[in-house]
Amino acid sequence: MHQQQQQHMQAISMQTLMPEKDMAYTVLADLKRVVREYATAATESSCPQTRQMFTNLMNNTLRMQGNLFNAMQQQNMYSVASPALRQEVDKQIKEHQQVVQQAEQHLQQLGLRQQASFGAQYNQQQQQPSQGQYIQPQVPTHQQNQNQFYM
Amino acid sequence: MMQPITAKELEYVVDSISNEDLLMKQCAVVVAAGSSPALKQVCGQMISMHEQHMHTLLNSLQQHQQLAPTQPQN
Repeated sequence: MHQQQQQHMQAISMQTLMPEKDMAYTVLADLKRVVREYATAATESSCPQTRQMFTNLMNNTLRMQGNLFNAMQQQNMYSVASPALRQEVDKQIKEHQQVVQQAEQHLQQLGLRQQASFGAQYNQQQQQPSQGQYIQPQVPTHQQNQNQFYM
Repeated sequence: MMQPITAKELEYVVDSISNEDLLMKQCAVVVAAGSSPALKQVCGQMISMHEQHMHTLLNSLQQHQQLAPTQPQN
């Protein structure tokens, strides 16, 4: 009787135990978790080499998560959240334009920014950083040759 | 200059090795039991990536091995 049960168990395929969709979702969920964990590890590293290692691992994992997500979406295994309604987007833009403007006014009051309006000046300022302004860091060159595996 | 690995970093590295190990095995299940060729291909590629990650993490421990103090500091 025991043997019969065992034989029956072996006859059940993996897909019966867990559908492919669920297997893929489990991997996707773990990839998402590991991306967050690498981000935390990078921010809490004091050794520059260790920080860089965690950053590279995070980028690779993020890329794998994206690839798996795309594959699942193509197989109709993943339903994306319904789109936000136009009136909701309009409302949020209206509300948050004020937040951006107020932030710029705040900077202006502190004398940290010459102009209050957002837009064309932003790009100009980025290209010609004046004294005391934040300069965008260069992307480390070694990250560029990490891509040999994906894409 | 390489610094000695901190206790915190050590924990993150070993936890990450376990994570990569688990992900690698999960991907292997999809490759072995899955039915969609596209998914199996993506997971198959991921297996070698996770393997590579495990080696990277292990190597970093080995690189820090000599720098680790044998007596507790301060």
